[in-house]
Amino acid sequence: MKAGCHQQQNVEAVLFIINVCLFGGYQLTELQVCHVCNGTVQNGTAIGQLCSASAGLLDGRCCLGRRENPSDADYVLGLDLSNCSLNYVDRLQEAATATMIDLSLNPLVSLDNLLFEGFIQLRHLILPAHLVCPGGNASWDKVEVKGESLYCEGQKDICNQTGHLSLTCPENSLCDPDGPGLYECNCVGDFHGYKCRRAGQFPIIQVLGPLGASTVLVSILLWVTQRRKVKSA
Amino acid sequence: MSPPCCGFLAQYTHHHLVAFLLTFFSYVLLHASRKTFSNVKVSISAQWTPTVQNVSLPAFSPIKTWEENKLFADSDEATMFLGALDTIFLFSYAIGLYVSGVVGDRMNLRYVLTFGLCGSAIVEFVFGTLTEWLQFYNIYLYCGLWVLNGLLQSAVWPCVVAVMGNWFGKSGRGFVFGIWSACASVGNILGAFLASSVLKYGYEYAFLVTSLVQFAGGVVVFFGLLTSPKEVGLCLETETGLSPVETDRDSHRPLMSDEEEEDRSEEVCDGGYYTIQQGDTEPEESHKAIGFCQAFSLPGVLPYSLAYACLKLVNYSFFFWLPFYLSRNFGWKEAEADRLSVWYDVGGIVGGTIQGLVSDCLGKRAPVLALSLLLAMGSLVGYSHSPPDQVVNGALLAATGFFIGGPSNMISSAISADLGRQEALRGSQEALATVTGIVDGTGSIGAAAGQYFVSLIESKLGWMCVFYFFIVMTGGSILFISPLIITESRTLWRDRQARRRQL
Repeated sequence: MKAGCHQQQNVEAVLFIINVCLFGGYQLTELQVCHVCNGTVQNGTAIGQLCSASAGLLDGRCCLGRRENPSDADYVLGLDLSNCSLNYVDRLQEAATATMIDLSLNPLVSLDNLLFEGFIQLRHLILPAHLVCPGGNASWDKVEVKGESLYCEGQKDICNQTGHLSLTCPENSLCDPDGPGLYECNCVGDFHGYKCRRAGQFPIIQVLGPLGASTVLVSILLWVTQRRKVKSA
Repeated sequence: MSPPCCGFLAQYTHHHLVAFLLTFFSYVLLHASRKTFSNVKVSISAQWTPTVQNVSLPAFSPIKTWEENKLFADSDEATMFLGALDTIFLFSYAIGLYVSGVVGDRMNLRYVLTFGLCGSAIVEFVFGTLTEWLQFYNIYLYCGLWVLNGLLQSAVWPCVVAVMGNWFGKSGRGFVFGIWSACASVGNILGAFLASSVLKYGYEYAFLVTSLVQFAGGVVVFFGLLTSPKEVGLCLETETGLSPVETDRDSHRPLMSDEEEEDRSEEVCDGGYYTIQQGDTEPEESHKAIGFCQAFSLPGVLPYSLAYACLKLVNYSFFFWLPFYLSRNFGWKEAEADRLSVWYDVGGIVGGTIQGLVSDCLGKRAPVLALSLLLAMGSLVGYSHSPPDQVVNGALLAATGFFIGGPSNMISSAISADLGRQEALRGSQEALATVTGIVDGTGSIGAAAGQYFVSLIESKLGWMCVFYFFIVMTGGSILFISPLIITESRTLWRDRQARRRQL
């Protein structure tokens, strides 16, 4: 865990570090994001309700869902980082599976555009009221301000929208949602590689085999009929 | 003097056939791999550039798929670089022809030929396949490899011509060389076919397949080629007797005059040696050779050299840029464009043969040339306005190939031979090589410079201006030979008048 701690430091100065080093090592599948700040998910909050409804496991600021297979790690269902005195948030990737995230009551200045990249299941996001919902209001079914909090509800599928900016992915690729207001262009079907320009696998054996065999054959044939008859001067 | 059909085939053994096929396919494979490069330009330029996206919109995600490679900012820059690579290749090829001729003279032709084929196959593999597999894109590496490729490829042409010259003597040479000279065009067609059939797996496999096949060809040549009948105890008796004086008369016999090999090989066999003085190479090396400047000032050499420079520019621009133009301008798939570009070669084969025959019948080259070039200008205008229909485009392409490829072949071969055998030269055996070298060399330099201009004009002014450039160049080649056209047409007309009076 110590090594992991140093690695973290090398990558970037994160506010999680102290928490990780203090609370880390309790369990193998430690999720750092759940221990960004002290306390646990409160029963009365939306995330508390979600957790009890879906029989999730509370762990620090997280509600964890269990996988079918016991050897698989738990995954984050909900994340409650409200009232954590966070000035900024720059890493949430561990919570990419969450359906509900609460960042309210924090002195956040702004959020990075790509912070929620890959958060395709996120349906409820609570932010301080002075922020805007990621991807803009058009990326959410319902946006409303209640007290000091901004509620972004129901993420829209940006790829299936009409009337919105037309998202034409390049040839051989299709649009896939990739979080609020974000999308990916992924290669379709057999296509792969840079710019999805390649299709299928090159049949290397079927090419090399006959080519090598015929080269050897023709070489032997010609050697016997031609060069063997060379008269050395 | 036309080849007596049955008798002349009987003099050939299976050794002749094998030598013919090996030299033919050596050059076919070489040209096929050259064609591959021009046919995968769109794929390469896509691989080297990030995806172009509207400024207001965010870049496509995931970055690894759409934005990772930034060797060039956009496809226009990549196009410029690809044009520069063609230029580099042609210059080093032109220089290499002189060097490799000297080398080929002093070493076994078989070794040089194998070295050229296999070496260039390896370079192409590194250029197209290995760099892609390693994801290592570097313009200096690409330039260096392509210079090396030009030098290695230049070793092949003098060798195959020399071997052919050793095996096939004067009788029936016109016929044999007529068939043989289709090798470049056959190579283009084979290359287009190979490239289009594996391009969907990625451009690196187009390079892989053509370089593998070329390498295999080199191996087969090494084990199978007899460079001269002398090696198996057959002799060259039929070719040694001919004196240079006879060649003068000989140049007027009917032959398929679109083969440049014919004249070079004449050189070879007239000498009667089996170590060859290769055509357009090292004129200064040979004994009794005419000086470079002296050859340059021979009547007709300068006009034809300049005319050929213009024509080879257009011809090679089609060779290098056609598939790229088709897929860029009409939005056709690269494989479709490659298949369509074959029609230019088909037109060139037919055009060279027919125009050569006609000029043989007339006994004059320049008037045929002038007519064909005039029609070429017309067909260029027509082609530049081609509708986006593949059938119409293919037909126009074949016509353009007919009128441009034909004269191009004729100047580089039959006319070079005519010039090298003119009155002023009698007694100097090596003039033919020098003259051919000057004409071909000037042509190659023109072609090399042209590749730069084409990419420059295309990126600055668009494709239409490229076609205007081609039309001007074709007109330029008519202009350069106009004195010869006038004198030859006059004698032609006078002869006809005289004949009519006799009747």
